[in-house]
Amino acid sequence: MPLLLLGIASIVFLVSRLTPADPLVSIVGERNLNNPEVVAAAKARWGLDQSVFVQYFTYMKNLLHGDMGTSFTTRRPVLSDLGDRLPATLELTFCALSFGILFGIGLGVLAARRRNRLTDHVARLFALIGSSLPAFWAGLLVLYVFYAKLGWLPGPGRINPRATAPDHITGFYTIDSLLTGDFATFKDSVLHLVLPASVLGWGVVGIVSRLVRASLLDEFSMEYVRVARAMGLRERTVVNTHALRNALLPTITIVAFTFAFLLTGAVLTETVFSWPGVGSYAVSASRKLDFPAIIGVTILGGVAFLITNLVSDIAYALADPRIRLS
Amino acid sequence: MARVVGSPQRISAGRRLAALAVVGAFTIAACSSDSDSGSSAGDSSGSSSDKALVIARGMDVNSLDPSRAYCDTCQIYMTAVYETLIGLDDDNTTLVPRLATAWESNAEQTEFTFTLDPTAKFADGSAVTSADVKYSWERLAGLQGSASYLVGSIEAIDTPDDGTVKVTLSASNSAFLAQVNAGYLGIMNKKVAEANGATTDPTTDKAEEWFLANSAGSGPYTLKSYAAGAELRLERNDAYWGAAPAFPEVIIKETPQAVTQRQQLEEGSVDIAMQISNDVAAGMSGSDVVVEQVPSFNFVYLALSPGAAGGEELTPEVREAIRLALDYDGLVDATVGGAGQPQASPIPNGFAGTDGLAAPKQDLAKAQDLLTAAGVTTLTLDATYPSLNVYGVDFSTAMQKVQTDLKAVGIELQLNPVEISVWADKITTDGIPVTMLYFAPDHTDSSQYVQYFGMLEGSQWQGWTRADPVPEQADLLDQALAEQDPAARADLYQALANSMIADQLIIPVVNPNLFLASRSDIKGMHYSACCNLDLARLSRG
Repeated sequence: MPLLLLGIASIVFLVSRLTPADPLVSIVGERNLNNPEVVAAAKARWGLDQSVFVQYFTYMKNLLHGDMGTSFTTRRPVLSDLGDRLPATLELTFCALSFGILFGIGLGVLAARRRNRLTDHVARLFALIGSSLPAFWAGLLVLYVFYAKLGWLPGPGRINPRATAPDHITGFYTIDSLLTGDFATFKDSVLHLVLPASVLGWGVVGIVSRLVRASLLDEFSMEYVRVARAMGLRERTVVNTHALRNALLPTITIVAFTFAFLLTGAVLTETVFSWPGVGSYAVSASRKLDFPAIIGVTILGGVAFLITNLVSDIAYALADPRIRLS
Repeated sequence: MARVVGSPQRISAGRRLAALAVVGAFTIAACSSDSDSGSSAGDSSGSSSDKALVIARGMDVNSLDPSRAYCDTCQIYMTAVYETLIGLDDDNTTLVPRLATAWESNAEQTEFTFTLDPTAKFADGSAVTSADVKYSWERLAGLQGSASYLVGSIEAIDTPDDGTVKVTLSASNSAFLAQVNAGYLGIMNKKVAEANGATTDPTTDKAEEWFLANSAGSGPYTLKSYAAGAELRLERNDAYWGAAPAFPEVIIKETPQAVTQRQQLEEGSVDIAMQISNDVAAGMSGSDVVVEQVPSFNFVYLALSPGAAGGEELTPEVREAIRLALDYDGLVDATVGGAGQPQASPIPNGFAGTDGLAAPKQDLAKAQDLLTAAGVTTLTLDATYPSLNVYGVDFSTAMQKVQTDLKAVGIELQLNPVEISVWADKITTDGIPVTMLYFAPDHTDSSQYVQYFGMLEGSQWQGWTRADPVPEQADLLDQALAEQDPAARADLYQALANSMIADQLIIPVVNPNLFLASRSDIKGMHYSACCNLDLARLSRG
């Protein structure tokens, strides 16, 4: 795993340095690009006066000591920036994933039980739209409808602009507000999660529902399901208690990887909803060619994929006794 | 192995409890009174900051270290937290006392003496002394941050006593008082800064991270907290030596989209929306919101670079033809819906030297004649520009309009919108024949425009256009900087403005108005040339 992460860091470092763009503009501003003293001072401070190879080895040496460098734009250690922003992204991702799984399974079961009927077609359409709709467009659409026009739900941000964030315990506003007994902020943060989590989770609904539907239909053709039905068990019991449990096994892998995708792919959703997470940090870093931040986000994404892969393997083994961890 | 038959699983007591806990939590939350939630759409109340001033704006903070900060939001922050020696009156022209009660200069404009207010003190209660002023300006120069050019002409700072600062400049500079008035020249508490790693040497200075979480100024507000990309919180300096500001807390929320700013303002979750564009402002109504349109000193311009690769055919005649081919009123309409005006020279309307300058006008026939005389029948030019939307002006919209105008006289622009980092790389290496950029003032003197846009040896745009320096402009600027009489100085700047117009290298296309949008109970909304928005002047009533 460390070697893989070093490989990722190396590739991103070299690719970012080969980009025909000048990061100095985000450090000194375009007005000072012709000011030799300011430019020289900035290059010396950020090590940009060194050759790419010196910059690379310096970065790698620091990285091995747990130092991801300092962001050009926030002027803080990248590790601190990621630590501050990760809870916001995790909170959004967990909610989106929960929404995606719950609705995806429900929709998948419904579609399987009513195969080739109107419900199945509607579920397929819903899943298709969720999987194909660009997040930024969906985000703007739901903001316009539910925030601007109807006023049912709050707009961008994690909490109301006037509210104060709960004391930092976990960084999850919902959990921290509950732990501190601040129920007003809890409600506020939950309501602010509804729209971005729905937009982000809609794609998951599409994937999970189609997968559950297909798996359930496979299970329905199994002998044990026919036996259960022949014994007179209620259809709900047959599906929910027996068939669904087996049908969910392949979903575990997908859900694990979907989590990693959501974590690294919340970029557009976070941007549209002014969500101060890793995604919006990545967008800002990319636009300003903030090398340390870009590499930091990439390493975080790599770690997320590796961890979810591991968790997926473990979960699969736990769910299916035929699989043994070695 | 999968279970085949059996009775339905019973939900365990633990699961039931967990489910109940979740449902209970949501129920409690749902039952919480809206009045103390500050959460629902349209709810303007807050849970713990009822009297806080909330501002929505897209923040562009590069640093909160007073010696490194350089951005529009930084101007607001610096003015609120780090006071300058001199302030600016409502007319955006008259200098007024701030930390200094009096100031004087010699006839040559090379020596300036400031007398500090003996009652001025920092937020920690210690007095503001001449040593703090000397340290602040020397650190600004030493760290070579983006605003360091403002103190570039300082040769020496003497502190004969705690209350007197004597500044000696390397050359005459009648703009120095205006520069002192710029927020970037705010004064920090030397003792506190040094205790937290500040030095005047960029190789040893370690204070920037400390300044991102703390402040050391004498202003009406102090820094409470800052979360990049989320919010900037200021709290009232209870030890403030001047008139106490009205708000106990000011929260600037990161809100990049103008539409969202408008929605939050209309629903009352913010008090001020700072970057409302003309199209967003168009539909704003209601008695709870006030939108005022005021002229600004910001502008967007077209830059022609004859020395750039591919710009060789941009001779003076061709450049003049381009200037005459542009439909300036149409550009103002296309970019800001008429909420702005054309600008004659790179010195914006309202600054010294611009009185009586005629607004540019389109003259297609003359433009065509010039091109014919120059032997140009068709001309294709690279027009790489940063993909920006600044002061409500979308650069793509503006460049498309420019492209349309120039096509009428046979000039084809190849539009190429790019990220600003890509643009920066290109303009500093090969140069760009036709591009677009923006400018907002750092202080109130016209010299900054000449130093940036003029064809002075080594100026920003002399470097980028690769055009020959114009010695006449350097001479005129030297005279203006040595001149004490405001009227005579204005004449010199007008001569400089005309000289820059004659260069045909920098062509302003629109001077957009600024929309001051706030809740109707907010008093004191204004636009400051030096400081953007002075938070201490705002109140609720």
